Amino acid sequence: MKRLKFDYFMKIDYSEAVSLCHFTIKCFPQNTKRQRVEGVSIALSPAVPYSIGADSFGNRQIYGRDDIAHHSFSFRITGKARTGLSAWEEDADVDQTAVFRYPHGLNQAGESLRAYHDKIGKELPEDVYGKSLCIMHRLYQDFTYEKGITDMNTTAEEAFCLGKGVCQDYAHILIALLQMERIPARYVTGMLIGEGASHAWVEVLHEGRWYGLDPTNDSPVTDAHIRIGAGREASDCLINRGIMHGGGTQVQTIEVIVSEED
Amino acid sequence: MDERMSRLELLQHTDAVNELLARYGVKFGIYKNNEFREQLFPFDAIPRVIECEEFAFLERGLKQRVIALNLFLKDIYSKKQIVMDKVVPEDFIFASSGYMAECEGAMPPKGIYSHISGIDLVKGKDGEWYILEDNLRVPSGASYPMIAREFCRRSSPNTFHDNHLEDNRNYAALLRRTMDYVNTGGHTVILTPGRYNAAYFEHSYLAEKTGAHLVNGSELMVEDDKLYYVAVDGRRERVGAVYRRISDEYLDPMNFKPESLIGIPHIYDVFRKGNVALINAPGNGVADDKGIYYFVPKMIQYYLNEEPILSNAPTYLPFYEEDMQYVLAHFDELVLKDVAEAGGYGVVFGRSMSKAQKEEFIALLKKEPRRFIAQEIIDFQDLDILEEGSVIPRKADLRAFVLMAEEPVVWKSGLTRFSRNPDSFIVNSSQGGGFKDTWVLSQ
Repeated sequence: MKRLKFDYFMKIDYSEAVSLCHFTIKCFPQNTKRQRVEGVSIALSPAVPYSIGADSFGNRQIYGRDDIAHHSFSFRITGKARTGLSAWEEDADVDQTAVFRYPHGLNQAGESLRAYHDKIGKELPEDVYGKSLCIMHRLYQDFTYEKGITDMNTTAEEAFCLGKGVCQDYAHILIALLQMERIPARYVTGMLIGEGASHAWVEVLHEGRWYGLDPTNDSPVTDAHIRIGAGREASDCLINRGIMHGGGTQVQTIEVIVSEED
Repeated sequence: MDERMSRLELLQHTDAVNELLARYGVKFGIYKNNEFREQLFPFDAIPRVIECEEFAFLERGLKQRVIALNLFLKDIYSKKQIVMDKVVPEDFIFASSGYMAECEGAMPPKGIYSHISGIDLVKGKDGEWYILEDNLRVPSGASYPMIAREFCRRSSPNTFHDNHLEDNRNYAALLRRTMDYVNTGGHTVILTPGRYNAAYFEHSYLAEKTGAHLVNGSELMVEDDKLYYVAVDGRRERVGAVYRRISDEYLDPMNFKPESLIGIPHIYDVFRKGNVALINAPGNGVADDKGIYYFVPKMIQYYLNEEPILSNAPTYLPFYEEDMQYVLAHFDELVLKDVAEAGGYGVVFGRSMSKAQKEEFIALLKKEPRRFIAQEIIDFQDLDILEEGSVIPRKADLRAFVLMAEEPVVWKSGLTRFSRNPDSFIVNSSQGGGFKDTWVLSQ
């Protein structure tokens, strides 16, 4: 168990004025079996009004619009979390998990991933959790962490063919491989001590419980992880999504600080 | 003048009616080779006539079907009891391109998903009616028989005096009632993607006839979890119901396809909060998929505990091994349909494939059995059409419209489409067919 504090800051600077933008922010860690969250505060700049809601995956979100010309947009979300309270997440309704057994969008496999699955599929243990760990270990050996090779829209198949990518790609590939084994798997966004940016990992369903696996670090999720949201793949739980009119070129800065409370 | 004579009188006015249709811009847009062309939707003046009793039978069957389909949609986006009970295999839900996980848990106003359903039927040579497909997303076509009837009455009033038929000009009132029933407070609007849409004529015509504003995406905005119409002078007025004639994916760039330029950012969030009705509700594609069609009779039994009144065309799902064997053994007698395609695309007849094509198709079928359905070819009854002065038979179907408010209502008319090509069974307007008025006799 750890007592953590977090500070998630995202800013976009525009070279030209944005006359109108729409935004949705899904950056709110929630109370789960694994973690208790408290003292969450939100600061938007420009300080425009927003609505509060939840998406169909249960992620909390705020959304709104800004129709006054602006040259930058930012938000900061801070709070505290006690983590590692349990090794798994409880699912409110395990009957509704079939959707995580089917590929969707970015976690689609293609010829190469299917061939890879055929290759590694034979030597796997029987139980779901053991099998998932094994697949993660193999992927960690065969895939290399490197920034700048893939982007937000890279599919599992494309990333796998490139052989290199970031946490999003590790997560999508692992989900694709698990789904080929008919194991329900979902994409999770979150924060990690020492990471400096947002992080992503995977949860697998085993005997009615969701276990977190962090394929980028080849490890089960620990008390250093703060969970934000989940979905079928990255697009379902993007931390910030926006469309804007104008703006010219843009530069995005993300600073995430997670540390143990003093 | 007897009934027959006055029908003949109508035929003499074919050219006049088609001229009027052309002048009023009754057109159908077609995309072919990435090019948009608008063409007239040719009208044939010989009406399809449905006897009063026969229509009453269709009416019962269509209502039953649409009630069951609505219950199915409500179930799929909440508890999924029909999947739990293994009546519909989960593959046909979650692997379907029509299923939208984004719609989970969002209950539409009054629980109605399919307010306007376009159900396609054919009448076989055996005299039986068969359901060909359900259209629960944005079925189009009601405006064509409406306006054709209007022009026919104008050019041949005697015909309508001497024949006792149901007046189909009440469609606008039925539609208005359907939209008002779910309106959450405020205006009712018809949302069009604009004049380059295949059915733009229909959008503007229905707006005119129902008195709803015709708007495009840029005239609507979301603020504080409500939807507003923004007038030219900047004034904002609350909107409570949107009959949207754009597809789900393009409806809201913040919830669906981000690249959509014709949608309204956050409109789906407003819907999720229950502050606007979207007609039809997003996510309906999961119920009108060609694969799920097979299960509609089972849905009727499951939800209503009734036997289906109207039959499906005999259909096989290669997904089931037994059906796959049947399909392979009777390949030449069947028509095969790709479940992901619509508008008459992705439909192939076993008998018209070359040996090489057949082998290629069977390999694909074995690889992706979930992707196809196979159906017995129904020998449709031909309908007479007039071409260059002579009467010739052509294949035709009927799109019936069912409007759901408190109770479902079947419009006493419909769109009869016919193939202009004598060898073709495909009557879709996007494939260049024509249409007829559909007369339902009132006695």
